[in-house]
Amino acid sequence: MTKSLSFLLVDDDTDDTSLFKEVLEEVNPSISFNWAEDGQQALQFLKDQDSILPDVIFLDLNMPRMGGKECLTEIKNDEKLHKIPVIMYTTSSQSRDIEETMQKGAICFITKPTNMKELKNILSSIAGNVHSNLEKTLRLLSNNTTTFIVC
Amino acid sequence: MILIVDDKQANLFSLKTLLQLNVYDVDTASSGEEALKKILKNEYELIILDVQMPGMDGYEVAEIITGYSKSKDIPIIFLSAVNIDKRFITKGYTSGGVDYVTKPFDPDLLLLKIKTFSKLYRQAKELSDIKDNLEQKVEKRTEELKQANKNLEVSNAELQQYAFIASHDLQEPLRKIITFTRIIEERFLEKTPAAMEYMSKIITSSERMRTLINDLLNYSSISVDPKFIFTDLTKIVNQALVDLEVSISEKNARIEVDDLPVIEVVPEQITQVFQNIVSNALKFSKKDVTPFIKISGELVQKKSAKSKPSATGEYCRITITDNGIGFDEMYLDKIFSMFQRLHGKSEYKGTGIGLSITKKIIENHNGLITAKSKEEEGSTFIIILPVNQTAEHQTS
Repeated sequence: MTKSLSFLLVDDDTDDTSLFKEVLEEVNPSISFNWAEDGQQALQFLKDQDSILPDVIFLDLNMPRMGGKECLTEIKNDEKLHKIPVIMYTTSSQSRDIEETMQKGAICFITKPTNMKELKNILSSIAGNVHSNLEKTLRLLSNNTTTFIVC
Repeated sequence: MILIVDDKQANLFSLKTLLQLNVYDVDTASSGEEALKKILKNEYELIILDVQMPGMDGYEVAEIITGYSKSKDIPIIFLSAVNIDKRFITKGYTSGGVDYVTKPFDPDLLLLKIKTFSKLYRQAKELSDIKDNLEQKVEKRTEELKQANKNLEVSNAELQQYAFIASHDLQEPLRKIITFTRIIEERFLEKTPAAMEYMSKIITSSERMRTLINDLLNYSSISVDPKFIFTDLTKIVNQALVDLEVSISEKNARIEVDDLPVIEVVPEQITQVFQNIVSNALKFSKKDVTPFIKISGELVQKKSAKSKPSATGEYCRITITDNGIGFDEMYLDKIFSMFQRLHGKSEYKGTGIGLSITKKIIENHNGLITAKSKEEEGSTFIIILPVNQTAEHQTS
């Protein structure tokens, strides 16, 4: 039996968080869902010995206390954490945000979809390919969706 | 006031009396040294200077007087009974005198000379005072203008920042309006098509507003301090075309790209320029004609749309021609201004920001953009960009 997946969403927006959780449950109820409401809380969770490290991190940009860019830098500078794929998950579609986060090591930049079917489609593609060609899957996905995805 | 310098009290007295009778203010000094002290202290409009004096002679005194910035313009008339040779007179002039009067002199003529020279001096002084005053005013104004300019730059930067933040924060609630409207539509309205239709209208309007905000964001975030890199424009055009792939194949458009020069640009910004112009060309294509877009470029001599081609030119002209619906050239200025649209929203999509972003980018590149068109006969956009940005900065 394969180990069940674990996703971490770092986002201060509770509406987006509950939609994300709802859709993720529809996709696969066995995926364990963790949530942090800002970068600081995320790092605290990730560095806690008792936490099970997530398979994917979804990271928002604008958050209080510690934003996504700073959090991403911290994750990529941490020996234990830097291999976890980070997907930027945000309202922005600004090229400077995209360039900066991709340069810092995010594997993908997704502008939050406004269509739940799209979100479901994205989450199920990610869930199905976390350990096999995640980047390639996302690249394929970006060509076949109206959601703004940059890899 | 007039200063008379003579070591003989009798001479001083007679000349002083003569001048005072003619209503001049008079001061006297009985030696060169005393004269210099007085000159530093007081204002004189004319100096009558004896040549032969013990201690400093008249020539030395004159040389020192013309050396001071305070007194250099005061006219000096030499007066001499002894040194009346041509060489002495010449020396008088070269040491700074305006006239050399030999004794015995005619009092009337001397008075006329005094009158003329003091009048000239006063006029010159008035002029120079006016000039100083003007210079001060100009300097003050320049300073004020510089300050005003600085204030403008600051408020401009603040405004840009404000526009960026405002539009960024507007995105968030709008996205939620769209998201939740969709959820209601999908989950609760399947059986009420009329309600669905209204919901679709909300979504369409919100989507439109979203595009608008996004365009505004792009406009306000065009970097003020951009990084210029020498880039092959052909590659940039190809990148822009990849990004437009979907709409190009939807419209079945044919696009021809010539070899374009390598010039110094901000690659992302110029990619956006080509994207905007080509997507406009696609958007405003004729309904029943296959869209054809041709992009070509060449080096030219001057920063002018009509400049002659030149293999060693310092500017690059890029021409983008389409066979679309075109526009009336009387609207040329309008198409580059913010929010100006020539067509109704239902006919053609768009926010009216695309070309103003394009223009701003081109201006940031020290270039120019213009267009030629006739209604129903396609459009041609012409862009002139400097090949070398650093040289452009040095000359401008």
